[in-house]
Amino acid sequence: MAAVNAELRFEHVSFSYGTVPALRDVSFSLAPGERAALLGRNGAGKSTVLRLVTGLVHPAEGTVSVGDWDTRGRAPESLARRVGSVFQHADQQLFARSLRDDVAFGPRALGLAAAEIARRVDTALAALELTAHAAEHPYDLPPAFRKLAALAGALALEPAVLVLDEPTAGLDRPLRARVARALADSAAAGVVVLVATHDLAFAAEVLERSLVLDRGRVAWDAPLAALLTSSERLAPLGLAPPAGAALSAALDLPGRPVRERDVAHALARVAAARGPV
Amino acid sequence: MARLTLERVSFWYPAMGRPALRDVSLAAAPGEVIALVGNVGAGASTLLLVAADLAPRVVGGKIEGRVNFRGRGKGEGGRGIVLPTPWTQLSGMAFTVWDEVAFGPANLGWPRERIAGAVDRSLAALDIGTLAARDPATLSGGELQRVVVAGIVAMEPALLLLDEPTAELDPEGAGLVWRLVRALAGDGCSIVVATSDLDALPEVADRVVWMEDGVVRRIGAPALLAEESVCEAGLATTVADVWRTARLGAPYPLTVAQAERRWRQ
Ligand SMILES: Nc1ncnc2c1ncn2[C@@H]1O[C@H](COP(=O)(O)OP(=O)(O)O)[C@@H](O)[C@H]1O
Ligand SMILES: [Mg+2]
Repeated sequence: MAAVNAELRFEHVSFSYGTVPALRDVSFSLAPGERAALLGRNGAGKSTVLRLVTGLVHPAEGTVSVGDWDTRGRAPESLARRVGSVFQHADQQLFARSLRDDVAFGPRALGLAAAEIARRVDTALAALELTAHAAEHPYDLPPAFRKLAALAGALALEPAVLVLDEPTAGLDRPLRARVARALADSAAAGVVVLVATHDLAFAAEVLERSLVLDRGRVAWDAPLAALLTSSERLAPLGLAPPAGAALSAALDLPGRPVRERDVAHALARVAAARGPV
Repeated sequence: MARLTLERVSFWYPAMGRPALRDVSLAAAPGEVIALVGNVGAGASTLLLVAADLAPRVVGGKIEGRVNFRGRGKGEGGRGIVLPTPWTQLSGMAFTVWDEVAFGPANLGWPRERIAGAVDRSLAALDIGTLAARDPATLSGGELQRVVVAGIVAMEPALLLLDEPTAELDPEGAGLVWRLVRALAGDGCSIVVATSDLDALPEVADRVVWMEDGVVRRIGAPALLAEESVCEAGLATTVADVWRTARLGAPYPLTVAQAERRWRQ
């Protein structure tokens, strides 16, 4: 799916908005196909990291690179050849007359041929099960569908790196499952997936690595499951275990699963072994 | 006497053939917290707009049935709504967060000391005292959501309508909002909240309203969120859903604490 595979790399990145420091000495790198959650309190700097990846802002110190491209000196339009993004409040950013036209906007701006644009738009709409809504006006649909359409627009760029800010806010379970499937498919095709989110249940379903920011610094960088199974690690970072992981811990389920389906399976197995509950 | 009453309300958005609400009846008593749950498009947001007197008055469209709101009287907080789009709710008139939160109370014509007290309490309740001097236009998404909630709460509304108030909040922020909801209800405020944070509801809601396709399917205690039909609709709490997936038999526990008790029996 991705036109190229590329690593996303932050090297000693600092950034301030005027006098407000937002990021301090942030370093990490994500390999093609890696799926990472970007976590932390409100104001910790998550959206700023994503803005740096898309070239909306540039580091004051350090380097952000996407494959062999340094983002410095590149505008968002140029980076859009490698980076797809959906920001908070993306449902407000649609402006075309149909969902289809909105999804086509990015590929068109890349200057692709009409047939290639059509192929990508069809694929992206199908990935989020939006095909039936393609002809509808975005503002006749609930905000949650507009959010999915914005994600479809990012997928249609067929980027090497996909960065998403709170993609599940305001989404119900069925729609969250659609986003989860689309992200898993992208990662399987080699796309770097980086998701800023407070929805740890969603993160547990699709993401594997966790990067936690605390007042602009990387305070944790390790497998997500290791974080979710430890209240002692979560609490100081301002995080709380999602209900599935909390249940798994409270009942002391073997292996401490964190995904809801895995928790249910473990529960069923233990219950079968010990008789009726 | 109910603070908010909807009697057989149907509502159509402009140029829409199908009604977004159909024959909805609901009453909210003083001090009551009512949670609206449903899948996307079920009508919860529309019900809040109708209760806030924004639909059809501001958004247009057509309404049938009766909506009645009894406030506390002139110069007192009436009904306040927090929309799911916080950035559309800034006054655009304030250069600091403090002034932004003071904007609503000032419009109620309160004396200056009362305004100052209400603003400071509201900022403290949402733990954003440190943002008081910041320009609201430069806040992060979650910070902005807290500021908007603070601005509405500072008006001491008699009826508080909340649409996904915790969507962009971190767990501490979400906890603050839910505790604030309970505290305001304790002071007699009626609260109607549409939320997809189903796991929070057993602690927060007095009653849960399940909406589907513009219709009220069921109204009941939070235990509703562990019933079979609600599970099937994807609206159960995580614990109920996991218990059911594990085929451990109904009634499903609602919360981790309930599950733990059942497990140890
Ligand atoms: N445009 C801006 N101007 C000034 N400060 C900003 C701006 N955007 C964000 N900030 C500040 O930068 C810090 C990090 O914000 P952000 O990256 O949005 O955090 P998060 O996404 O983790 O909630 C916060 O203190 C926030 O208030
Ligand atoms: Mg953010």
